[in-house]
Amino acid sequence: MKKERILLNIGAILGFIILLFIFNKTFDSYQMKILNLCGIYIVLGLSMNLINGFTGLFSLGHAGFMAVGAYTAGLLTMSPAMKEMNFFMKPIIPFLAKVEWPFLPALLMAGVVTAFVGFLIGSPVLKLKDDYLAIATLGFSEIIRVVFVNIQSVTNGALGLKGLPTHTNIWWSWGTAMITIVFMVFLMKSSYGRAFKAIREDEIAAEAMGISLFKHKVMSFTMGAFFAGVGGALLGNLLGTIDPNMFRFVLTFNILLIVVLGGIGSITGTTISAVIVTVAMEVLRVLDETINLGFVQIKGIPGMRMVIFSLLLMIVILFYQQGLLGTNEFSWDWFSKIKGFKKTPKKEVKQ
Amino acid sequence: MSILRADNITMRFGGLVAVSKFDMTLNEGEIVGLIGPNGAGKTTAFNMITGVYKPTEGSVFFQDDKRDIDITQSRPDEITKLGVARTFQNIRLFKELSVLDNVLIANHLRLKSDVFSAMLTLPNYRKEEKAMYEKSIHLLEEVGLKELMYEKSTSLPYGKQRRLEIARALATNPKVLLLDEPAAGMNPKESLELMDFIADIRERFKLTIFMIEHHMQVVMGICERIFVLDHGITIAQGTPSEIQNNEKVIEAYLGVD
Repeated sequence: MKKERILLNIGAILGFIILLFIFNKTFDSYQMKILNLCGIYIVLGLSMNLINGFTGLFSLGHAGFMAVGAYTAGLLTMSPAMKEMNFFMKPIIPFLAKVEWPFLPALLMAGVVTAFVGFLIGSPVLKLKDDYLAIATLGFSEIIRVVFVNIQSVTNGALGLKGLPTHTNIWWSWGTAMITIVFMVFLMKSSYGRAFKAIREDEIAAEAMGISLFKHKVMSFTMGAFFAGVGGALLGNLLGTIDPNMFRFVLTFNILLIVVLGGIGSITGTTISAVIVTVAMEVLRVLDETINLGFVQIKGIPGMRMVIFSLLLMIVILFYQQGLLGTNEFSWDWFSKIKGFKKTPKKEVKQ
Repeated sequence: MSILRADNITMRFGGLVAVSKFDMTLNEGEIVGLIGPNGAGKTTAFNMITGVYKPTEGSVFFQDDKRDIDITQSRPDEITKLGVARTFQNIRLFKELSVLDNVLIANHLRLKSDVFSAMLTLPNYRKEEKAMYEKSIHLLEEVGLKELMYEKSTSLPYGKQRRLEIARALATNPKVLLLDEPAAGMNPKESLELMDFIADIRERFKLTIFMIEHHMQVVMGICERIFVLDHGITIAQGTPSEIQNNEKVIEAYLGVD
């Protein structure tokens, strides 16, 4: 039984890789960009779900973490000549002027630096709960942004960085997405994952059961920050241009939306909703333009897609208060259920 | 030999003295009761012992193989690690999780593997995980919940939820078990069953039990010694028969004209 599952999992991953190959060949650059964004938003959504959904810490600091990741990877991968062109207002600090790293170490470094920042922020802030924690993390996220505007010799201030090498392709973004998914699945299956869930369910009881709240909260927060940093780095090297104003609160809100829509505390839900939200945002662009129905012409209203999108969101939340999947996860049993297979009596010992 | 000792602990919330100079010693293997009218400070006393509140005065000691550890300033999880587990007056299970998960979580504190070997399921972790499962399932079998182990914990009937909470506390390998009103909301038949259950687990797990309880039948039935709190003050202590005839206790419970 177990072996069968593993084979199915490997098969699904291989199938998906082949699918990516086909997409890679057939999609135009606009579609490719959306596909890349899907992968990146999966990473970001999962990292937020780890903190908010699985450990129950209401954190809104994601944009800040992404900024740290994007800038770290950006500065490490940018060529020295490009840096000189960018930093015309104030020269870059010599320590960063000459470095040019390959993408993989830069990506990992982005994660590590962000995790460290997450650790520094988390240690004092995680003593707070609920909305207080949300406000504190939101504040820190804004502080990071404002600091980035002002340390001109490192970040080039409000001018941002232009001409980042666009390393990110679907292999990087979806590869990272898959690694993140596997990481989350294994983490949540382990005893540490259970401890995180226990903290979400009832902090007082979790502590009475001998779970050190501080240690586990900081652990979850730091891991979440790591992946947020990697996601930010992928995004920066996809777009090729970053500036501090990209990393406003709205960005955190977008990721929160993915998490809530997919189901707070569901890996599958976040993965699905990351794709849905990213694609929907682009598909609904049609609504902003003039629509010609033949007999009547509807004048485009800029921003209409956000209205429709918000409406759709409201409908989903009204009917599925737990998000699309609640806390459920994908399993191969879904298929046997759908097809009504009776030959797999996988009934657990139930009364 | 004493195992847990509270040395004149006092808890003040602003001007209110919730518990005043509570002095108690638990000897190994005893079942001791703590009774008193509503608002007498029983749960506050519990919270001070388990580290939820830090006493404003006095100290708490845990005694373990000739060590005498001051746990007054320790965190709840540290105290649980030493071997003092508790249940709650209003059941606090991990609601969305299964019965088995609830018990497995209580094993986490004894886990030695770090998070990375746990994620990669390295052999040392796999061994620990297997032992955890076996222990938890065995424990659930002993408390009669094995058939329900994949059910969501909140779907259990009330009495079984109480039982699960005790099982979860037992999974932390405690030496001392603190029960906060285990029979609350139970009918007389259930309370009697619970009484047998508590007596039974004391024998099997070699526990020292300290319990708050309102059901006099339960308290008088199994406790060897009883403390009586009223308005935060210990008004009496002694054997059940002594307590039953104590004038101050009768006064506190029934009032006096």
